[in-house]
Amino acid sequence: MTAARRLPGRLLIAAVLVVAALVPIFGGAYLTTFLFTLLYAYIVAQSWDWLHGEAGYVNLGHYIYFGVGAYAFAIANVNGAPVILSFLVAALVTGAMGALLSFPLFRLRGDYFAFATLSLLPLFELLASNLVPITRGSDGILLPPATAMIHGIDVKMFAYYVALAGSVAVFCLSMWMSHTTFGYALKAIRNDEQAAEVVGIRIFPIKLQAMAYGAVAASVAGGTYIWSFRYIEPRTVFGLDVALIPVAMALLGGSGLLWGPLVGAILLSVGIQLLILNLTMLQFTIIGLAILLIGRFMPGGLLRAGWIQRVPLLAPLGQEHHERIAAATAAAPAAADGLPLARAKPDRSRVLLATRDLTMAFGGNVAVNRVNLEVREGEILGLIGANGSGKTTLFNCLSKVFEPIEGDIVFAGGSLRGLRRDTVSRLGIGRTYQIPRPFGDLTVQENVAMPLMFRADNPLDRRSAMAEAIRFAAFAGLRDKLAERADRLTLQQRKAVEFARALACRPRLLLVDEVASGLTPAEVRRFVDHIREVRDTYGVTVIWVEHLISALTQVIDRLVVLEQGCIIADGAPNNVLRDEHVLRSYIGTGAKVVA
Amino acid sequence: MTAIIIQLLIGGVLLGGLYALIAFGLSLIYGVARVLNFAHGTLLAIAGIAASVMSAAWGLNPLLIAAILLPVFFAFGWLMYVFLLEPLKARNPMQTVVGTVLVTVGLLLILSDLAAQLAGPTNRNIRLDLDVFAFGGIIVSTTELYILLGIVGLTLALHAILTRTWFGRAVRAVTQDSVGARICGVRAGAIHAATVAFGSAIVAIAGVLYTLNFPVNPYVGFELTVKAFTIIILGGIGSLPGALLAGIFLGVAEALTGFFWSSDWAPGLSIMLLLAILILFPQGFLSRSAT
Repeated sequence: MTAARRLPGRLLIAAVLVVAALVPIFGGAYLTTFLFTLLYAYIVAQSWDWLHGEAGYVNLGHYIYFGVGAYAFAIANVNGAPVILSFLVAALVTGAMGALLSFPLFRLRGDYFAFATLSLLPLFELLASNLVPITRGSDGILLPPATAMIHGIDVKMFAYYVALAGSVAVFCLSMWMSHTTFGYALKAIRNDEQAAEVVGIRIFPIKLQAMAYGAVAASVAGGTYIWSFRYIEPRTVFGLDVALIPVAMALLGGSGLLWGPLVGAILLSVGIQLLILNLTMLQFTIIGLAILLIGRFMPGGLLRAGWIQRVPLLAPLGQEHHERIAAATAAAPAAADGLPLARAKPDRSRVLLATRDLTMAFGGNVAVNRVNLEVREGEILGLIGANGSGKTTLFNCLSKVFEPIEGDIVFAGGSLRGLRRDTVSRLGIGRTYQIPRPFGDLTVQENVAMPLMFRADNPLDRRSAMAEAIRFAAFAGLRDKLAERADRLTLQQRKAVEFARALACRPRLLLVDEVASGLTPAEVRRFVDHIREVRDTYGVTVIWVEHLISALTQVIDRLVVLEQGCIIADGAPNNVLRDEHVLRSYIGTGAKVVA
Repeated sequence: MTAIIIQLLIGGVLLGGLYALIAFGLSLIYGVARVLNFAHGTLLAIAGIAASVMSAAWGLNPLLIAAILLPVFFAFGWLMYVFLLEPLKARNPMQTVVGTVLVTVGLLLILSDLAAQLAGPTNRNIRLDLDVFAFGGIIVSTTELYILLGIVGLTLALHAILTRTWFGRAVRAVTQDSVGARICGVRAGAIHAATVAFGSAIVAIAGVLYTLNFPVNPYVGFELTVKAFTIIILGGIGSLPGALLAGIFLGVAEALTGFFWSSDWAPGLSIMLLLAILILFPQGFLSRSAT
């Protein structure tokens, strides 16, 4: 988008902000209070969406941070702390709590995460009611009336401006996130946590940060709330009905969209306000009905609805910010041919990977049984075996998707015992999956850029990573698919994305899991050439699991056969393929070996 | 002292048995239809309030009340699934989770607010004024015996339905392997709806039994849902004996907490237990029941 086309939109935003800033002065008490409630609800809704829209976690208890922030502010303020200090206390206490709660909560996913977080609301209501010495129980806390005015001006006005500034801040933060590697890490987590780890992202600190930042933002909203309304009691900040409104707002507008929570906050606030003005009873029924209808009819939110997408000016609002950036950068030309990897001559005398009695079992089923395997630098090793013989499990042990129950893996002289998936990836083990697991709602280019942003030394920023990703993608034959979403690709293209993404991890050891099955003979030849080039030019060692022996024998130095988790043959391809045991157990006797 | 403890145990076991029935309905629904119904406990509160109103206004026998509520709740559960929950299944998994949560939480708010408007927000119960027995300081009322009878009878009936009928076998098959069941000719959609209806009907009866001895108000629902969920996690999804054991454990633990510490904290016990289990056994209890 050009600057000239952006200008009207920016002027509009500036005008809205000016009007919003003038409301407390000219707008009257009712309008000011209404807008104030809208603003702090927006802060909560938007900060909730950092974890949901970006990372895919449904944190139904996000409102506890609002409540805890409000309580912390109130307790500090009542004990004589000035306002700024009270805000600081609220932010620190709540942020620390968010970080601490991350440890237990992120052991859960999906329904369980949702339920555990929702149960925090009654727990905190109970704590606030029962910890009387701290919270004054169900009596609630009233801020001292003497501090309700500053220089003759009602603090409501200041609270309004803090809420306005907070709203602008969370909006800008959300926009900034889409530009950063942090935002991309969250998006990777949303798509596939295991794949995110395998490309080198340490996911827990990222989730913890998203939770803690959200907690701090919500606590500021809570602080403005109590500062303005002067009174707090457990039910008003921990009740289920109030707590889920921000969630409903974000979903109504469109979760994960920059404008989604704001649009939702405006619509739902106005809607509820209108209904409550006209109804003296059944207010919670109205709120409940709003939440129910949003859940039932608004899966992607209003901004993603078909009729909005057909309005030219509104259509971009229904795209995630990164989608627009990605579309804009995809056109950039690749700087040079070949891969942006260091050229290396492997030292064939050195052992890169060695497993010692490696064993993995699931219950009583031993999938990998005392495997001793040595792979030398620059070797291309073929790994075959019947279905269920343990090939993929072996890969999962090497990339630490599974922690082996016994034995050890030594990679480049160091043991991998106890190391995390992302560490192993950064040490130089890249892999593909048998059933490809690209990040579905990201583009090909973003998929491939991901490891570049999180590698151990010299991680790239988003822009450079996206530029460098083009060369990896082009190498894998995806030059004209850069801006395509990965979940809209064919199976073969998704396998190519995984291959490019694994290469972008700058692996010293590349684990390739059945890439050739389903390819045409010409495509197989091209892939074989790729594998050879990766080894010959960049010195990458390869272990290749494949059923297509004719493909393997074109390039491998050595062939290993697994049967029921054990190595039954290991040696030069020609010898192994004539081994009687191998013929009997895998290839079948009487087969004509093509070698 | 012993007498007091035994008295507490009796109360705890009764309460725990009722928790188990609530939890079992919730776990059937979750196991089969993959819907975590946040409004499940609220259905019990509604059943209890309705029963209390009918008993006070028309003097109906609790058995008759249960017979009236059973088909109503069955139909409610069926309609709730068909109109509100089943359409969400077509979305991507994340949107299904969020949608289900919002729909059932919205329903929770609507039901409790409507109940508060129609019947008042205060505690209600069913007064039977039956005889009371005393054995050396331990007091047992006939009502409590009836509740025990009700719990035992309902549990046996549930066990018979799950093991002896086509519906029960289909439910267990879908819980264990939904795709496999579908391949074998189980119509998944209908079984899902029937299970949600069935689980809601169980809660209606549990609600009548609950209100005979314990107070209900429109807002106890979510607390009961949390307890039920804790019990499911402790006892395993779809396991009736597991639900009973875990339910009685929780009921007794609450009674003892209330007595030895403070009844203010007793409602928090299940939440803390839930969080503790989730932290200590993040996959443990679930994967065990899945394999």
